[in-house]
Amino acid sequence: MPKSRRSFSAVSKRATLLPYLFVAPAILVLLGLSIYPLLYSVTISLQARTSNGIAWGLDNFVRLTTDRFFFTALWHTFVYAAAALVCEFLLGLGLALLLNRQLRLRGLFRATLLVPMMLPTVVVGVIWRLLLNPNFGAINGTLKGFGINTEALTWTASPRLALLSVIAVDVWQWTPFVFLVLLAGLQAIPQEPYEAALIDGSSPWQTFRYVTLPLLKPAILIALLLRTMDLLRVFDQIFILTEGGPGFATETISLYIYRTAFRFFDFGYAAAMSFVLLALTNVISIVYIRFLQHREVA
Amino acid sequence: MAVCLPNFLIMRLQNMLKFIFFDSILLLALCLTGCQRQAQSNSKQLTLAVNSGVEGDALKQAARDYETHTGVHINIAEFPYANLFEKELIDLNAHTGAYDLIMLDDPWFPRFGAGQFLTELTPFLQQKGLNGPDADFVETSLALGRYPYQTGPLYALPYVGNSQLFFYRKDLFAKYNLKEPSSWDDVLTAAKTIQEKETTDKTYGYVMRAAQGNAAVADFMPIFWAFGGEMFDSAGKPTVNTPQGIAALKFMLELGKYSPPGYASFNADEVGAHLLQGTAAMSINWPAWISSFSDPAKSKVTGRMAFTTLPGNQKPGQAEIGNWLIAIPRDSQNAQAAFDFLVWATSAEQMKLSAQRGNPPTRKSLFHDPELVAKYPSYPAQLKSLESSRPRPRTPQWNEIENAFGIFLSKANSGELSAEEAMNQANAEIEKIIQRGQ
Repeated sequence: MPKSRRSFSAVSKRATLLPYLFVAPAILVLLGLSIYPLLYSVTISLQARTSNGIAWGLDNFVRLTTDRFFFTALWHTFVYAAAALVCEFLLGLGLALLLNRQLRLRGLFRATLLVPMMLPTVVVGVIWRLLLNPNFGAINGTLKGFGINTEALTWTASPRLALLSVIAVDVWQWTPFVFLVLLAGLQAIPQEPYEAALIDGSSPWQTFRYVTLPLLKPAILIALLLRTMDLLRVFDQIFILTEGGPGFATETISLYIYRTAFRFFDFGYAAAMSFVLLALTNVISIVYIRFLQHREVA
Repeated sequence: MAVCLPNFLIMRLQNMLKFIFFDSILLLALCLTGCQRQAQSNSKQLTLAVNSGVEGDALKQAARDYETHTGVHINIAEFPYANLFEKELIDLNAHTGAYDLIMLDDPWFPRFGAGQFLTELTPFLQQKGLNGPDADFVETSLALGRYPYQTGPLYALPYVGNSQLFFYRKDLFAKYNLKEPSSWDDVLTAAKTIQEKETTDKTYGYVMRAAQGNAAVADFMPIFWAFGGEMFDSAGKPTVNTPQGIAALKFMLELGKYSPPGYASFNADEVGAHLLQGTAAMSINWPAWISSFSDPAKSKVTGRMAFTTLPGNQKPGQAEIGNWLIAIPRDSQNAQAAFDFLVWATSAEQMKLSAQRGNPPTRKSLFHDPELVAKYPSYPAQLKSLESSRPRPRTPQWNEIENAFGIFLSKANSGELSAEEAMNQANAEIEKIIQRGQ
């Protein structure tokens, strides 16, 4: 009896250890590739450059509070994210509703709509830089063809239009993503609630408001969450299109962090700014996720 | 079709894309060559970091020639201009010794000098029985490779002798009876005249680049200096918002009225495109562009451009110098072999080949070389401009200062700020950068 009991406990021990063993490589990779660098960047953010060498402490975070470039860049990031998110969502939802119906050439439309998203952002940046060129670009060229005076339409060169231009490019590229997620969501909605609504005599608007929208909510929240995280750290298109200019008109927080780290070689300050961005992204994500969970329970 | 994209602009953008894609591959290649080098560290091998562009191409070609002459194998790590600085600085800062020779744009040099990242060259010269580099180098170029500037020990030799030149359309100047501009007032008058009278083919009087950062600052400095502006006083405090500095910016804005719309976001590409398309009559530009004007495939103004020294105002005109230097990192394991290559590549004979490949030399004898002068008629003007040129302020914080200054210059040119506001805010920002220290 004791013998068999021993072997039983050994088996159970193995059974409890085995899952950890399987998970261990993944944990190790995670530790090595993300936790360690994260902790290391905390130590970097606590080292400030001063005229007497490196000082440990919160100097970098104190400097943040008086750096107006930082606040302007942060403001640009939020304007950019909010404007692009609203446009992408409304356009994406409209397109998804439209292409969820039986349309001729529906497959072709769906495929074409996805092209912008397939292109690397750098390529998109270069294409739009050519299109938006005030003197040689296709957009002003076409407008001139219609007899419109394009003297004032300098797009990425004008402090008023620059941010608008880069937002438009983002909308052009990423609306298809929102469209794709929402279309998938729409197709997952069963037919029965619509039939019930039809029998109850609801108007098309009521059907949309009280059937489609609530059932689409999970897809909407996923699309918004992913886009928000991407928008807050936008870098490549703006880097190619304007490099943050004219002046500081399109400088976002990622560009400013990049410049601080790799042009000015102030990694401590760049790390401090990254943490602020990380914290803000986290707060926004948590708000979204809470909202999502809350709705699912209800 | 109203839309015409200059080939030139497309080519530039294509290049840009190419480099972004190949960057990662290059990095991998570099790692591999690094590993390989460790495995056979005794055999003669050098690793050279160059920029992708006409300057780096010439040095790459020289390295290939050197290989066939001497049997020393040279690995080449090529990076686009925007990435070269960060790659080099990260590597030198980590003391890996991955590079034996690096190409440097001269404004970066103070940071490398202050960080004590480079090998002093004088002991190697002394071993050869020389007191210093030979007297054929242009003094203003050689001074760039010393830290502190002009007076300190020598850490780098100048390879490409760029300095700004004033470009103008001699056919239009002759047509409207204008003389070669010697002052900025002449420039403004000429810009006005040409833009008002040249209406059949819309031609802007002047084209400048005022994109934030390097572009705006490079186009502004010659005006700033000519108006008597100085970035720092003798105690090192910033003085960009003096009356002279503000007057210079006001003049830039005045000249901007004759520049194509959107110039506040122009970089070198756009300025080049306007000049090559014949849609602008004057500009400050760098010698690397000169050869494109005689190529009918790129240029609509073949044989109609003239190149001269920069105009003055209160003070005689001075160009900004922008030389490419070659240096040996302190952690190089092959300093002697690297030095031998450096001396060979900057010799008159080799530099002449580099000049024929399109790079202005840094040796006086080559600016007078009959064969080269026949090929590049602007050489006498280039030498004059180079010898009287000024460097950008020699501080390790120049990147940061230039960035801040450029933002405010660009803001003034895009109409966001007045000249006074821009200069006052720039001054305050530069002061903050200096107080923070390196």
